[in-house]
Amino acid sequence: MGNLPSLRYFWPESILTVAVMAMFVQDLVVRRREHRVQSLTIGALFWLTLTALATYLYPSGTTPLFGGLIVHDPLRVFFAWIFLAAALLTILIVPKSKQVSDARVGEFFGLLFALMLGLYLMASATDLLMVYLAIEMVSLVSYVLTGFRRADRKANEAALKYVIYGGVASGVMLYGISILYGLFGTTRVVGDGGIGAQLADVSSRLFMAHAFGGQPAAQLALVVAVVFVLAGIGYKIASVPFHMWCPDVYEGAPTPFTAFLSVGPKAAGFAVAIRFFFAIFEKNVPGVGWVAVSDVPWPAIIGIISAITMTLGNFTALVQTNLKRLFAYSSIAHAGYLLMGLAAASAAGVQSILVYLMIYVLMNVGAFLVVISVSRATGGEHIADLNGLGTRAPIAALTLSIFLFSLTGIPPFAGFTGKYLIFAALVQKGGMWNVILAVIGVLNSAVSLFYYAKLIKAMYFEESRDDTPMPVPGLYTGILVSLGAMVMVLGIYWAPLLRWASAAFGGTTAT
Amino acid sequence: MEAVLFYIFAIGVVVAGAQVVLRRNPIYGAVSLVACFFFLAGIYVLLSAHLIAILQVMVYAGAVMVLFVFVIMLLNLKEEELGEMHVTTMKGIGLAAVLVLVGFIAWKALTPVQFARDMAVNEQIHGFGGVKAVGNVLYRSSVLPFEVTSLLLLVAVVSAVVIAKGKI
Amino acid sequence: MMTIGPVHYLVLGAILFTLGAAGVVLRRNAVVVLMSVELMLNAVNLTFLAFSRFPLVQNAPMQGGILQGHVAVFFVIATAAAEAAVGLAIIIAVFRSRTSINVDEFDSLKF
Repeated sequence: MGNLPSLRYFWPESILTVAVMAMFVQDLVVRRREHRVQSLTIGALFWLTLTALATYLYPSGTTPLFGGLIVHDPLRVFFAWIFLAAALLTILIVPKSKQVSDARVGEFFGLLFALMLGLYLMASATDLLMVYLAIEMVSLVSYVLTGFRRADRKANEAALKYVIYGGVASGVMLYGISILYGLFGTTRVVGDGGIGAQLADVSSRLFMAHAFGGQPAAQLALVVAVVFVLAGIGYKIASVPFHMWCPDVYEGAPTPFTAFLSVGPKAAGFAVAIRFFFAIFEKNVPGVGWVAVSDVPWPAIIGIISAITMTLGNFTALVQTNLKRLFAYSSIAHAGYLLMGLAAASAAGVQSILVYLMIYVLMNVGAFLVVISVSRATGGEHIADLNGLGTRAPIAALTLSIFLFSLTGIPPFAGFTGKYLIFAALVQKGGMWNVILAVIGVLNSAVSLFYYAKLIKAMYFEESRDDTPMPVPGLYTGILVSLGAMVMVLGIYWAPLLRWASAAFGGTTAT
Repeated sequence: MEAVLFYIFAIGVVVAGAQVVLRRNPIYGAVSLVACFFFLAGIYVLLSAHLIAILQVMVYAGAVMVLFVFVIMLLNLKEEELGEMHVTTMKGIGLAAVLVLVGFIAWKALTPVQFARDMAVNEQIHGFGGVKAVGNVLYRSSVLPFEVTSLLLLVAVVSAVVIAKGKI
Repeated sequence: MMTIGPVHYLVLGAILFTLGAAGVVLRRNAVVVLMSVELMLNAVNLTFLAFSRFPLVQNAPMQGGILQGHVAVFFVIATAAAEAAVGLAIIIAVFRSRTSINVDEFDSLKF
C-alpha cells in the first residue's frame, strides 16, 4: 500500500506523534500554575485514551503499509494493547511516586509518548531499517529516562552505561543489517522479494550456496550477519549474553520507569524477534505448520540461549538484596522463559509468548508498584525494607504475595497460565531436546521460588522497627487490588486471552 | 587512478582511526576522527556516493565532531583523569573474537562472492548517488523512516536539554 | 594497475569496525568510547555504500532500487548524530555529579 492510503492505518502512531509535542507545549504553558502535575497527568491520560481509541478502531486484516516498511496485522494490535496497558499504569503511578520531581513530569510524559511511538513501530516493522530506527527511538528515550534523576549519581552512571552498551549493540546490529543488505539487495524482511522470501525460495538458496564457493559451511557471512542482528534484538529483551546493562539500568532508573522498561521494550523486542524468526528461519507449509528453512538449527540455538538466560538470571537473583536488582535478574530469567516459546518454533509457542507477555505486564508492574509504595514511605529499596509489611500495609503485602506467586508460576495464579502454555507448546512440538528444555524451565521456576519466598518471608515473618501503618495512596491501593484480581482471574479463566492470542498469530500466513 | 586514490584514502582512514583508539588525550582522538571522516568522504566519492560524501563532511566532520570537541573542552580533563588503556583477559578474549569473526567475513566469506554488475552501475542509473537520485528514493519509498527520523531528532534535542541543563 | 573491487571496500569497512570495537573494549574514557562507536557506525556506512555500488549477482532490486543503501546511510548519519548528542549530554551530567568519566571507576552500581 502506498504512502497516503497507509495513513488510514496509522492513526495511533500519528496521535502519539502529536501527543509528544502537545505534552512538551503543555509543560511550558502550565509551568507556573498550581496543580500542574494534575493537569499534565490529565493531559497524558487524554492522549493515551485517544491512542487507545484509535487502536481499538484499527481496521482488521493484514496489510503492508508504506510500501512494505511496516505491516498492519493482528499481531501488531495485540502488542499495541500490551504497550497501552504498560503506559497507562506508568502514567497513573508517576505523579505520586516521589521519584520524578513535580517540575519535570511534563517532560517525562512527553518522552514516554515518544517511547510509545517507537514501541508501536517496533511491533509492526517488517523492514530492517525500520526496525533499527524504531529500536533507536526506544533506546534514545530510555537512556534519558534512565538518567532522569540527575542529582542521583547512580542514575547518571546507569544512563551512561546504557548509552555505551546501547550504542555498541545498535552498531553491531547495523553491521549485520548492512551485510544482509549486500547479500539480498534489500533490507525488507517480510513480503515479496524480501529476505525471507528469497531464503525460502529454493533457487535463491542454491545461488547462495554457489556464491559462497559451493560449500554449505560457507554461508558464514549470512550466519554472522543474522547473529549480529539477533544480538541487537537480544540486547532489547535482555537475554544472555547481552544482559549486563539490565541490573544497573533497572536500579538507576526512576522506579515507575523501571516498571515500564521491564515490560514495554521487552515485549517490543519479542515482537521484532517473532517477526524476524518466522520470516527468516521458518516457512509455513499448509497442513504441516512451520518448517525450518535454514540448515542452521536456529531453534536449538535459541533454546540453548534461553536455558542459559533463565538459569543465570535466577541464580544471580538468589543473592540480591536490592529489590530493583532482584527484579532485574528476575526479568532476565523471564526473558529466558519467553525465549522457550520462540524455541518451540510453532504457532502455539508464539501464542504462549503473547499470553505470557500480557500477564507479565500485570504482575510485574504490580510488583514494582509495591516496591514504589514501600520506597516512598521508607526511602529504601532493599528486602529489609519489606519487613513487617504484612501488618503495616496488609493490602500491599497481600497483593505482592499474589504477584510473586504468579511470577513463580504457582497454579491458581496467572503466571501459571503463561508458563503452562509455554511448556505445553514445547512438549507438543516434541523431540527430546524440547522436553529437556521444558524440564530446565520447570527446575528454574523452582529455583525462583527461593528468592520470591524470601520477600514473602520478610513481609510476614520479620519484625520491623516501626509498626505504624504505612501510608499507601488510595490510587495505588486501587491499582494493586485490580491488578491482583486480574492476575487471580487469568490464572483460572484464561480462555479469552488465549483465543485473542490465537487470533493474533495463529492465522498468520507465510511471508 | 582509482586504485591510487583508494589506497591513499584507505591508509588515511585506518591510520586516523587507529589514532582515535590509541591516543591517550581525547582531543587528539577527536581531531584524528575528523581526519578519518574526511578520508572516508573521499572513499565515498570513489563509490559514487556524492550526496553522502557531502553529508559526511557537513554533518559528521562538521556538526557532530564540533559537539565532541566542545564537550571535551567543557570537561577539561586533567592529565591523571585521562585514563589508560585497560586490558584484561576477558576484554582480550572478546576483542580477539570480534577480530576473528569480522576478519573471517571479510576474507573467507566475501571474497568468492560474485559481483555481477561491477563498475557498470554508474552507467545504468542516471545520476547515481546524486541528490536527485537519492532524493527520489528517500521521499518516495522511505518517507516514513524520514519522518520518524525527524521526530527522533526532536526527541534527541529535548532529551539533551533535559539531561544536561543546569537549573530548571 | 590493479582494479579496486567491492572486496577492497568491504575489508576496509571490516577493519574500521574492528578498530571501533577495539576502542569500545579497551578505552575507559567515555568520550573516547563514544567516538569509537562513531567509528563502528562509519564502518557500517561504508559497507552499505559498497554494496550499493556493487550489488550482488541476482538481487532484483526492490522498489527504491540500488540506492536503498544510500538512504540507509542517510538515516544512520541522522541517528548517530542524535545518539552522540544524548550520549554527550549524559557524559556532562555524570561529570557534574562525579568529576570523572572513566567507565571503570563507576562503583556505586555493583555487579
